[in-house]
Amino acid sequence: MDFYLQQLAIGLSVGMTYALIAIGFTLIFGVLNVVNFAHGEVYTIGAFAGLLVVTTFAPPLLAVLLAVLAVGAFVGVGLERLAFRPFRRFSDEASLKSRAMRESTLMSSLALSIIAREALEIAFGSRFQSVPVAAMINQPIALGPVTITNGDLIILGVAALMLIGLQYVLRHTQVGLSIRAVSNNPLGAKYVGVDVDRTIVWTFAVGSMLGAVAGVLVGFYYGAIFANMGFTPGVKAFVAMVMGGLSSIPGAVVCALLLGVCESLSTAFVSSVWSDMVAYGFLIVTLIFFPRGIFGGARERV
Amino acid sequence: MKTKLFAAAVAAAAAFAGSAFAQDKPVVKLGYQLPLTGNTAQYGQDFRTAAEIALARFNSAGKPFKVEIVFEDSRSDAKEGVAIARKFVDDKAIVGVLGDFTSGVSMASAQVYKEAGMPQLSQTASHPDYAKISPWQFRNITTQAQEGPYNADWMKARGYKKVAIIAEQTDWGQTVVSNFADEFKKAGGQVVFSEFFNRGLADFRPLIAKIAREKPDAIYTGFFYEDAAQFLKQMKQLGVTIPVHSTSAAYNQQLIQLAGADAEGMHLTATFLPSNPDPKVQDFVTAWKAKSNGVDPGQFPAQAFDAVNIMLAAVERASPNPTREKVRDELAKTKAFPGVTGETTFGPDREPAKKLAKTVVRNGQFVAVEN
Amino acid sequence: MSDRFRARLIAIGFLALVFVAAPAALTAFGKSYYWQVADLALIFALLAGSMHLVTGVAGLLQLGHAAFYGVGAYAAALLATKAGLSLAFTLPLAGLSAATIAVLVALPTMRLVSIYFAVATLAIGQMLYLIMLNWVEVTKGPNGIMLFSGMKFAGLDLSRPLPTYLVVAATVCVSLFVLHRLSHSYYGNALRALREDDQCADAMGVDTVRLKIEAFGVSGFFAGVAGALWAHTAGFISPPDFSFQTSILILAMVVVGGLGSLPGAVLGAFILILLPEALRPFGDFRNIAVGVVLFASILFVPKGLIGEVSALDFARRQLAGAWRRDGAGAEIGWR
Repeated sequence: MDFYLQQLAIGLSVGMTYALIAIGFTLIFGVLNVVNFAHGEVYTIGAFAGLLVVTTFAPPLLAVLLAVLAVGAFVGVGLERLAFRPFRRFSDEASLKSRAMRESTLMSSLALSIIAREALEIAFGSRFQSVPVAAMINQPIALGPVTITNGDLIILGVAALMLIGLQYVLRHTQVGLSIRAVSNNPLGAKYVGVDVDRTIVWTFAVGSMLGAVAGVLVGFYYGAIFANMGFTPGVKAFVAMVMGGLSSIPGAVVCALLLGVCESLSTAFVSSVWSDMVAYGFLIVTLIFFPRGIFGGARERV
Repeated sequence: MKTKLFAAAVAAAAAFAGSAFAQDKPVVKLGYQLPLTGNTAQYGQDFRTAAEIALARFNSAGKPFKVEIVFEDSRSDAKEGVAIARKFVDDKAIVGVLGDFTSGVSMASAQVYKEAGMPQLSQTASHPDYAKISPWQFRNITTQAQEGPYNADWMKARGYKKVAIIAEQTDWGQTVVSNFADEFKKAGGQVVFSEFFNRGLADFRPLIAKIAREKPDAIYTGFFYEDAAQFLKQMKQLGVTIPVHSTSAAYNQQLIQLAGADAEGMHLTATFLPSNPDPKVQDFVTAWKAKSNGVDPGQFPAQAFDAVNIMLAAVERASPNPTREKVRDELAKTKAFPGVTGETTFGPDREPAKKLAKTVVRNGQFVAVEN
Repeated sequence: MSDRFRARLIAIGFLALVFVAAPAALTAFGKSYYWQVADLALIFALLAGSMHLVTGVAGLLQLGHAAFYGVGAYAAALLATKAGLSLAFTLPLAGLSAATIAVLVALPTMRLVSIYFAVATLAIGQMLYLIMLNWVEVTKGPNGIMLFSGMKFAGLDLSRPLPTYLVVAATVCVSLFVLHRLSHSYYGNALRALREDDQCADAMGVDTVRLKIEAFGVSGFFAGVAGALWAHTAGFISPPDFSFQTSILILAMVVVGGLGSLPGAVLGAFILILLPEALRPFGDFRNIAVGVVLFASILFVPKGLIGEVSALDFARRQLAGAWRRDGAGAEIGWR
């Protein structure tokens, strides 16, 4: 029994790391209806930025997070400017959400992610960067039969803060209102005087800030920061987002947790090489039986 | 008549002067295919550094000819590897090839070398069938057929009866498990758990919890240093304190840098120890440190360094006018080659036999131990 | 110059390029490296062409195409090593097995639309990849499969570059011709109709689900044929050849060339295979250069190098598509 409890705890902590990434990913998808392939690289850049800050200044974690937030915002705005803005040539609804725009931004963000990853590789090499022991957040804490780490608590705290903060921004600020308006109906938002372009920039800034923070936290949690670190979590976040119904952030978070727990518990019964199979199988089953996602449909886009 | 003789003498003198002073020694080329970009670039970059050290040594030693190495990036992608192999085969000046890093790419390229008749020496290819492809394939890495039983006997001698095995899901990992388990069972031990994981797994904890449930006396692992560091850190996270044994693939200073104190007490075999007082080894370690910020070289760079030197020695024996056939024959004759990873002898199956050393991580250092 | 004559001229010109000019030039260079790259470019042209049918014409974003390529390669390798079949048999059988898997996979997922479908193909691609990697008893898992060479095809020794090239080129050309006829026919139009608006197509009496499954199966078939070609030309296959990155590479080829355009897909494949090889002198920077080219082509040539409209126009006017009238009042249609 203890064994299963322990696996459950591990699964929740893995799921939490997926959830961290999925939040920013889903926010951007919800507004533009496009998949941002470069989100994994934003996550990687956040981790590298955090590592650089730690190795040069060794500040407390909170200061690192603030620095990474700034980097994330910067990267997000740059990403939007380079990979997404040039493809919004017309601002009617058809082209804002058209297939052509979706496919070209899919590829442009993919191209940028290749460039970013290769540049990181040339600058830092593709080996794991060594993370100073003091910066790692993996001190074990024994809780009865299960062992968790302080990193789990920090990630839980940050994820909760992100979710609450995001809900606050979306519900109670002008920017949030315009983000929700654009995600609902870009043309309508434009007609009532929302600056669509600026709102999209804001969305990218916020989404990438969340992505970068996720990167640095997960990087310090596992002590594994390398140029290609964004790929697997990116795919998992993608899966969680789809299972959650594409544009529901709480749905994505719940599904990310579910995904983590399934992967972890499945290792108890089958070889761990098949644990990814469980995640993908789960996804297919969800798609076939809940085609709008487990939490989709009734919810708002963001 | 006189003038003609004089002209001939001048020409001869000029030719002599040219060969002696103007450095236009004949050039022999070697190819080295390795991943310089992509997910495994860290290994390829190390190989290149090691090969450059070996080559600089060789060329400054006043040999009658000069060697050039052509490095080509394969990204650990079979389709690029095959194209590079063709490219090397086309270049008539290339008499031997080193690489690739992963077995998959080495095997795919080997098909080209087999057909074209080009000696290929891989520093790391560990696929059980690699050297069986044709008489043109050599490797300079201890296969698990040697290392597995050695580790099994060692662990048995340390008094472990129940052992769990995990290894990465690659051709190499497969051989790690089978060779170790066969010998360990033969020696009367019990393998209570045996599983593979996908290379680059981010979270080993579900696996660790599963191993801990079986309560083995020790864990035998087949992974490279990056996965090793993750595994050790996460064992510590879960408070699991089962002794860990591993192979020479995890032997790298990076392991200790990445895992820190969590690497303490890990046992592994190695064919190369940077602390070895042998002047050859110290010479290589010094040159390596100068090129890579003072970090000790690991197993793989040493492996590559030796592979290049073995190839260069074969080329030297095959000269003057080395051909691919001559280089192959000379490679096959390699006997007790004194390298930094110990002496290398190619058997008739073109597999190396090496001397293994037992080490343990103690106070942030790899230390040689008797048991 | 009549249309028919011009069409013949273009077709003959293309075939002459592939079967006379290219081999002559390659023989003149005498470098097996160029042969290898040419084979690879042709194989990926077929992969891009097969993806074009699903992603370009039918508008279903495919993120797992490499898996069908892998199924074909494994089928060919297993048939060649276990049953000792020659390329003449493995080629169609590899295609059929890939098509079978594709249809089986498509049956439950084909009702999904847009991004849901894309994610489903991603998941299926990854699952097939995991099976290739971990079902050690059959696929030999990470050990891969070695095909012992001495491949013979209709008396041609496939270990020599020229016959290998000719077999690859002939297979790819025939396959591309079939794909061309499929996408420039009423069948292709029905696929385009469901891409533009599947509800409308449904209302017009097009059986959309069945059509999608068929397109998926055909696309899988040709991906499988490409896999068999790769297995036989490389002589050794292992799972990393068929990973997600390969799927993305094929998708990039189709997009760079122009979605919905078969010549575009072929051109995209040539560019994305030849470019990284041509950029070898740049060493570590060559992959950044590939990213930059990809980005620039999307930014400055958003419709692809050969956009769908111009490609359709070209194919219909020049290459005997579905629309050419043979004199007044003749029935237009499937030819």
